[in-house]
Amino acid sequence: MLVGAFACAHTPQLLARPGTEDRDLVLRVHAAFARVKQRLAALRADALAVIAGDHVEAFFLDAVPALAVYVGTECAGTFGRYRYRFPIHEPLARAIIEQGVERGFDLFYTQQAPLDYAFYVPLHFTMPEPAVPIVPLHVNVYLPPQPTPRRCYEWGRALGEIVRARPERVVLMASGGMSHFPGTDRYASPEFEYDRRLLDALQGGRGRELAAITGEELDKMGNIELRTWATLLGALGDAKADVYCYEPSWHHGNAVVEWPVAP
Amino acid sequence: MSGEPHYRFPPASAYRLNRCLFALKSDDGFRARFLKDARAAMSELGLDAEDAAALLGGDRDALLARGAHPYLVFMADLRLRMEREPVSFEFF
Repeated sequence: MLVGAFACAHTPQLLARPGTEDRDLVLRVHAAFARVKQRLAALRADALAVIAGDHVEAFFLDAVPALAVYVGTECAGTFGRYRYRFPIHEPLARAIIEQGVERGFDLFYTQQAPLDYAFYVPLHFTMPEPAVPIVPLHVNVYLPPQPTPRRCYEWGRALGEIVRARPERVVLMASGGMSHFPGTDRYASPEFEYDRRLLDALQGGRGRELAAITGEELDKMGNIELRTWATLLGALGDAKADVYCYEPSWHHGNAVVEWPVAP
Repeated sequence: MSGEPHYRFPPASAYRLNRCLFALKSDDGFRARFLKDARAAMSELGLDAEDAAALLGGDRDALLARGAHPYLVFMADLRLRMEREPVSFEFF
């Protein structure tokens, strides 16, 4: 069953803060993560399925899956001094890949690939104690051509149906966003007004609008990672978002959001 | 950059350059070799002279013009700085 849904920023500067990053802002985002951690404990989740955009870590140009499911026994990675390892909820991961393919989604799967910081940063701050096994769900956001937001939304709808039919208490978490332009001329000028309009729509329960956004618009608005949110919203339909925080830094719109799920 | 997407299809001609940036970002051993002897590390991956010059010069515009992926340029640089100046970061 589906018991909870969240979206979390994964800006690496939240984990390793350079002097150029406003410390108070970073701590406010951490406070929002702490609320997610409390909620995950209260929801008594058996598994956490994390939808993230791989930052060319698990998959390089040798093989670029649009949508992938990690079905190993555990998953590990590194980021600087951080060394992390999480057990995988294998029955849930297998159900997602098998039933996803059965429903017509040509999913890629892997049993061994490094876990990107896009997965790790939210887990570092929100993993409850005792830790919950995870299922990493990859969406290609950085290597064009990426899946369309509509395709992500449709995959999310199937994912939601699969999860709801499972015996485990499952939380879905989308990692990524909002506006940022790493490595480009636009790095210091994200589209914060676009983010705010989008959050208004999500608070109003209009999640389906994400499915109609084009890939071109996401690129223009620094929001290529919102494909992970589109996937999550496909699973949620028109639930109303509870925005824990929206903290625009000089280069990144950091959002932490919950969508309460009806029991 | 107007009209052009921020993140373009990575041209196949830039495969080796992107492979090198990927290794700087994600391969601790390669990054250590690069910090010790950048030219030797780049020749391991078969970079040509123009790619090597752009990378050594930290010339982002030249790297992008040669087909480097902007995110890889960004994160390779951040990871090198995290190694060179770890004291300037606060780790949570």
